[in-house]
Amino acid sequence: MTTHPISAHGLERSFGTLVAVDGIDLEVEEGEIFGFLGPNGAGKSTTVRMLVTLLKPTGGTASVAGYDVVEQPNMVRRSIGVALQDAAIDPLMTGNELLKLQAILHGLGSREATRRSGELLERVGLTKAGNRRVGTYSGGMRRRLDLALALIHNPSVLFLDEPTTGLDPTSRLSMWEEVRALNKEGTTVFLTTQYLEEADQLAGRIAIIDGGRIVRQGDPAVLKDEVGDPTLRIEIGDSIMLDTAKAVLTTFGEWRPARDGRLAIGLEGGAKRMADVVRSLDAQGVPVAHIELDTPSLDDVFSDATGRRLEGAMVDDEES
Amino acid sequence: MTAAVGLPSTFDGSRHRFRVTLEQGFALAKRSVLSTWRSPAAWVPGLVLPLMIAAVYSAQFAMATQLPQFPPVDSFLQYMLPASVLQSIAFGAGNAGTDLATDIENGFFDRLMASPVARQSVLVGRIMGAAVFSGFESLVLVLVFLAFGAPVKGGVGGVIAIIFIAGLLAIAVGGFGVAVALRTGSPEATQSMFPLTFVFLFMSSAFFPTELMNGWYQQVAQSNFIIDPTRRLVIYGWSWTDLLQAVAVTLAVAAVSLSWSYRMYLRRLEVK
Repeated sequence: MTTHPISAHGLERSFGTLVAVDGIDLEVEEGEIFGFLGPNGAGKSTTVRMLVTLLKPTGGTASVAGYDVVEQPNMVRRSIGVALQDAAIDPLMTGNELLKLQAILHGLGSREATRRSGELLERVGLTKAGNRRVGTYSGGMRRRLDLALALIHNPSVLFLDEPTTGLDPTSRLSMWEEVRALNKEGTTVFLTTQYLEEADQLAGRIAIIDGGRIVRQGDPAVLKDEVGDPTLRIEIGDSIMLDTAKAVLTTFGEWRPARDGRLAIGLEGGAKRMADVVRSLDAQGVPVAHIELDTPSLDDVFSDATGRRLEGAMVDDEES
Repeated sequence: MTAAVGLPSTFDGSRHRFRVTLEQGFALAKRSVLSTWRSPAAWVPGLVLPLMIAAVYSAQFAMATQLPQFPPVDSFLQYMLPASVLQSIAFGAGNAGTDLATDIENGFFDRLMASPVARQSVLVGRIMGAAVFSGFESLVLVLVFLAFGAPVKGGVGGVIAIIFIAGLLAIAVGGFGVAVALRTGSPEATQSMFPLTFVFLFMSSAFFPTELMNGWYQQVAQSNFIIDPTRRLVIYGWSWTDLLQAVAVTLAVAAVSLSWSYRMYLRRLEVK
């Protein structure tokens, strides 16, 4: 018997004639951080809303924490923590009051609610601000409170919908640390993001969604490897040795257009062969002044799958 | 095959479902009261404006109480008491709808729906919160009227009855607001329907006795079954008949508005 904290098969959601999510398949393993990437309007939030029981699918099936999202929505809700894209937090309430309210909504008794609230305020560094109204919180503090609210009942599966959008770099790093810590404690995390770096930093596996369909899915490193060999650029310290250097490099991959007087090849076998290149050049007495390896990015993966750039698409969407 | 991963360690399945539902409804009602209390712009006008209108009218129409057909009152202020309470509710009960629409618009409603909260607690909490707050405002109004020499002849029982009727009416009026909020999800659309309650109020005996009116307006104004019995508790004294009439009519209106809001609630959940 296999256990997938999140699984979807042919999951579909239409709004009239618009197909927002078009038959996607997902299987998230227990204890992993699963990144769900895509430009605005690709179907990320619609997928999350179906998985957290806020939206009924118009086709396919999905289960979360082992419960069917349509047949057993209440069991799903008991098992998951949810922090949606816009941290919807009543600005007139204090952090402490909201945590206690959330605890009661999850069926915890008053004493347990008070204990968990204090524990979580401490965990997200809001103990001092706990009795202040949320309207006085910064964006980062609101996100941390939102995360605490999602954790009030110790969920086994956590959905984070663009948790760092709009945060400054320091707050973003602190949120990443918290997500990693939660994951280490065994929480399965389903993370949607429009930041490639975020997915790269946090996710063990990712899925890229575009136009309601999943266009790539898997380990980010493997997906990047599949795009093609990384480009190795080398600057030779002594121009007399240029021919020797070329002869050595030819054995490691195909030539690529060079710039700034550097030699460039597509390094077959990827980063793990870099040391071999350096050793071979050294053995032939070729001095190396500069060496760098450009690995394909997740944007290259997206581009390879769709013919468009993810980051450019996002900028366009945000501006429109 | 997929197996259940298991419920969170904090989940206590032994707690009785009915008790949990009550606790959730109470917690949401408390949130509703606290949010309103902390937003004075939402409730101060509901206290100040009825008092201002009462002060102005009782000065303007002080001598009108001596007209032969005017009911036997100590002062015009005493005649105004029930109208001022109902006016306050017309202001305040709308908050239940606009606050819910704001929750829908900013995503707090989604937060509630993504939790295992008993679905009925969300509606009950919101409307009960408005009822409790309206009851509080009514008590303040009655105390101010008493301080300015407008007695409630029905005594303490009469005061309690007025506050109870006010709370029920807040549920009835609030139910309409909640229904519009659930239907539209827009605070602006919800707020725009509340001037209607003032139309009903002004086309009644709220501010002047129907005995002194004539024609179609008198016919319309006589068709109110809440203000007049409530006023009789103020100017004549305690009467079970008056209390039961006001409560029964208010409950009937509440049944209509709550049924509508429940239908809209199911529809919103179903569409989702």
